Amino acid sequence: MFSSAAALQPAAASSGNPLLADPVVQWLHTIADVSIGLACLSVSTVLVMLLRREPALRWIITVSAIFLLACGVAHLVQAVALFRPAPWIAGTSKVATAILASAAAVLLWPALAKWLSLRPRAELEREAEESRAAERRALEAEARIANVVANLSEAVFVLRVEDGQFLVDSVNPAFEKLFGVHAAEVQNGIAEEVLPRAMTMHCLPHWRDALAGGGTQDYEVTAEVPTGRRTWQTVLVPLRGPGGRVERLLGSARDVTATRRLQAGLVQSARLATLGTMCTGLAHEASQPLNIAGLWLRRARHAAQTSSADVQGAVSRALAVVEDQLRRAGELVARIRGLAGEDAAAQQRFDAVPSVAAAVRLACAQAAEQGVRITLHHPAAPMPVRGNPARLEEAVLHLLANACDSVQERRQKDPAAPARVIVNLRREAGRVVVEVRDSGTGIVDSLSETIFEPFFTTKEPGRGTGLGLTIAASIARGMGGGMEAWNLAAGGACFRMLLAADDEAPVAMAAA
Amino acid sequence: MGRRILVAEDEVLAAMAIEDELQREGYEVVLAPDGHAALEEARAQLPDLLLTDLRMPRLDGIGLIRALRDLAPTLPVVVMTGYAPAGGADAFRRPGEGPVTLFAKPLDMDAVLTELRRLLPVE
Repeated sequence: MFSSAAALQPAAASSGNPLLADPVVQWLHTIADVSIGLACLSVSTVLVMLLRREPALRWIITVSAIFLLACGVAHLVQAVALFRPAPWIAGTSKVATAILASAAAVLLWPALAKWLSLRPRAELEREAEESRAAERRALEAEARIANVVANLSEAVFVLRVEDGQFLVDSVNPAFEKLFGVHAAEVQNGIAEEVLPRAMTMHCLPHWRDALAGGGTQDYEVTAEVPTGRRTWQTVLVPLRGPGGRVERLLGSARDVTATRRLQAGLVQSARLATLGTMCTGLAHEASQPLNIAGLWLRRARHAAQTSSADVQGAVSRALAVVEDQLRRAGELVARIRGLAGEDAAAQQRFDAVPSVAAAVRLACAQAAEQGVRITLHHPAAPMPVRGNPARLEEAVLHLLANACDSVQERRQKDPAAPARVIVNLRREAGRVVVEVRDSGTGIVDSLSETIFEPFFTTKEPGRGTGLGLTIAASIARGMGGGMEAWNLAAGGACFRMLLAADDEAPVAMAAA
Repeated sequence: MGRRILVAEDEVLAAMAIEDELQREGYEVVLAPDGHAALEEARAQLPDLLLTDLRMPRLDGIGLIRALRDLAPTLPVVVMTGYAPAGGADAFRRPGEGPVTLFAKPLDMDAVLTELRRLLPVE
């Protein structure tokens, strides 16, 4: 039977270990071995828990923990062996500990070298903080640039080049406003499909040049986009990728519609002013001989009345021809005179709508005979302008006559062509605009500068005096505006009278 | 009512033809080659109507009308002109003065004669 008392008897006698002959020494060893064993186990447990927090030191901690665990187990085995001698177990555990200790000793040196090469934690933290700050700065800078681009008055756009196609990378609000598109709808779309057709048609050649040549492009385009007829000036910069290939195009477009319109207006005004002076002189000089010829014609007619019937018949036929021709010349002089200046005294504030409507009504009858349909679109609200209602009506009549003639001319060549004239009356930025769009032959590009000049006509001889558009332009000028004209993409031309809107409230006449 | 018309016209051929037309209508015609001469004639004997050109040597039509209005404020005036003055006939007339009618050259003589008959009715 194995009793506890016997189990606690020193095994010195049987083991033959002289150290253990003295019970005090034996207890000293026992307490020391158990304490060291437990301490080793405790420390190795702490190390295992530390492993999670310090992955960088995993190797050192693991090796150290195994070493301490082995030491602890060896010491506990030694403590047990003091009371129950088991030389094989004690020896084996010592050998195992020796192997693990040697392995730890060998493995820890390279691990130490690796650990020393790692940068101190503080430095790593500082670096991390610095990189976070740099990232923050970059984000702030990006936001600042995005804000600048978003608030830029110039339309900025970035095109991405993929497989020879241009994709819309991004556009700013000014671009949306200029071309009447929404950024969300055009982004990542093929430019030709998502941007206004009239715009891409004119711009694509420049984009291709920038892509092919790789140089900055500077161009100006006038086209009818959803926001109306616009002129814009673009600077296009190709952006190269790491491979040196052009990957993106950065464009910045400035709306110069108003400037160009003003410049064109000034040129037109200067030219017409010169011509106006000439017309006045011409009308006066021509009126004198025509006047005398007319008066003497009447004298000749009176004289002929006293001659024989034969002579009278021949002479009065001749005189009728002369009189008719003089009348034609006289009418011409009267029209030229009308160009020279507007009657300042007859200016008044009036609603443009009834005048334009009256002109359309008048023109409709004749147009219907030619098979041309005229439609008028205007808002319900009155459109006050300053001038003379009859003169505005006359101007619109000239424009309509011109439009109908142009439609007729096209129909002679192409009977299937549409026969339509549309009159739009609307407000545009402080102006009242009378727009006449026809489906006619359009204006020959090289002539667009001269169409408002007197006696300029493309009509065949005998049709039109060449004064209609000049008179309309003169009337528009007299009403504080001007005229412009261009061809429509679908064929035909668009003539616009731009009149100054007279929006000030009518002056109330105070009762005396 | 008198039927004496003072005609101020520097173009002799025009003046001759006008004189012919007016005489055929039964008017008494006095011709003057410029504004100055016309004013002299008017001072000698006041006409019943002035028919005048605007652009004339020495004294033009506007000066003539002004000077003549001082002599006879209500005298009817008919202007023949190659210009279209801003403001029309009112440009020649101050409030309270006689009527002014404007005819553009080349003249529509029938219209002129009709106006003269209105201003100076045949007795």
